Amino acid sequence: MSAGSGPASARSAASRADEVARVGAAVSEVVERLFGTVTAVRSAALRSSAWDDPRSGRPVLDDSVRDLLREPGQLAVGLGLVVAPQPERGLPLRLEWWQVDPDGGRLRTLEPDLKPQSLGYYDYTATEWFDVPRRTGRRHVVGPYVDVHGTGRYLLTLTEPVVVDGDFVGVAGADVSVRRFETHLLEELGRLPAPFLLVNGEDRVVLSTAPRWLVGSLLPPEAGPAGSGAAVPGVPWRLHLVDDVSLLRA
Amino acid sequence: MQLLSGDARRAVFAPLDDGALRSEAVVRRVGSAIALGLMADGEQLPTETDLATMLNVSTVTLREALAELRKLGLVETRRGRGGGSFVRSRDDVLAELADTRLAELGTTDLRELGDVHGAVAAAAARLAASRASRTEIARLRDIVDRLARAGSVTDQRRAEGRYFIELAACAQSVRLTMQEMDLHLELGQLPWPPEHVPELLDVIVAGHRAVVDAIEERDPARARALTEEHIETRTLWSIELRLQRVGEPPARQEVS
Repeated sequence: MSAGSGPASARSAASRADEVARVGAAVSEVVERLFGTVTAVRSAALRSSAWDDPRSGRPVLDDSVRDLLREPGQLAVGLGLVVAPQPERGLPLRLEWWQVDPDGGRLRTLEPDLKPQSLGYYDYTATEWFDVPRRTGRRHVVGPYVDVHGTGRYLLTLTEPVVVDGDFVGVAGADVSVRRFETHLLEELGRLPAPFLLVNGEDRVVLSTAPRWLVGSLLPPEAGPAGSGAAVPGVPWRLHLVDDVSLLRA
Repeated sequence: MQLLSGDARRAVFAPLDDGALRSEAVVRRVGSAIALGLMADGEQLPTETDLATMLNVSTVTLREALAELRKLGLVETRRGRGGGSFVRSRDDVLAELADTRLAELGTTDLRELGDVHGAVAAAAARLAASRASRTEIARLRDIVDRLARAGSVTDQRRAEGRYFIELAACAQSVRLTMQEMDLHLELGQLPWPPEHVPELLDVIVAGHRAVVDAIEERDPARARALTEEHIETRTLWSIELRLQRVGEPPARQEVS
């Protein structure tokens, strides 16, 4: 980065702080909107009578949950419930998950490969989006990541634990594609006075308006923006304003 | 059966574009899907019409392929209620199928396949060295450990496929990941070298470990070079196995 030489460095600290606050608020708003969907899924799961006899294999969620994906302004491309397997009670891995078909906007159920022997085996209990809410009892955001064995997309996944009678029974969640998240936020924010980077808890770039920092890359400790950036409320992400010069020159 | 774009199984039922000998292409595709564990023993195949549509072959071609798979013992058809075609996983048949496939290919086909796999996997390794998180690196290491411990040929093949697919996912690239899945359906049709020379498994495991070390040390150039080198070696193994077949009678036998 070209510290001290870009036009951004001339701007007062106060206006930079305003900018950080504005971007941070927009990010928080999107995240809370997505968690709103997750909470709606979780509430539907808690209302279900299927927990009375989990062995019946009856679906926990009714079809109205699927319609959340059709709501105007919905950013999630997938949502549903992922049930905690309880081998000792004869309950296998199970998902009740819907997603918007990337090609046509049709809704499909996700049917990943749950056979332990397979090349494509989807052992979701080992995934961060399942394991963290189970261990901490708290909501969690993971990504961006390639969801190899589930949807095959590049995603952010938001999850909340579902607890019935004190027992962890699974997670409710929603997926947003990295593309949709980016397109929506860039549209919301409009013209930006300074480029910024949004990084997650493992220093991976979630969103960037500076071409030299690619989404999905890890922020190298030595090349990263000075300072630790500003925390984004409600999510373990940080926001960095950066000075960047255009690469579009000979 | 509903399949999703991202599912590894997606590639199994993707339309074939092999051109000639299409019923054989169907047989090979199904054989490699069984070898990689994408289709499990006892699993029911989609109906003939659905399967023909998915694979983009005529029902006549599909029936020919199913007849051949039945003859090989990889598919069993039951009539009546609850009937249909079911997968039967048989390591002996899969090994024979792999030998037959190898005999059909020229050394340049094997080189081409190795060239593409080298390009994809080396690019993935380079990117993974700068993009993989610590959790992802630990997962890669775990897969290599599983490969080292795997007792059967099929378990080894599966762990191997998983290693390359996860490597591409560590690169944060959906496209490289899909490429790896498609490549493994082709590679899964070929003999597994440790089945012929068991010590080669140690070479494979050591090769993957060296790459994971380079990724962990955040050394993209080394991760890339080691992956290229490893896949070149693997290509030469396949070519040598192919050349050993020269002058031998055809491997394929009737399986009763």
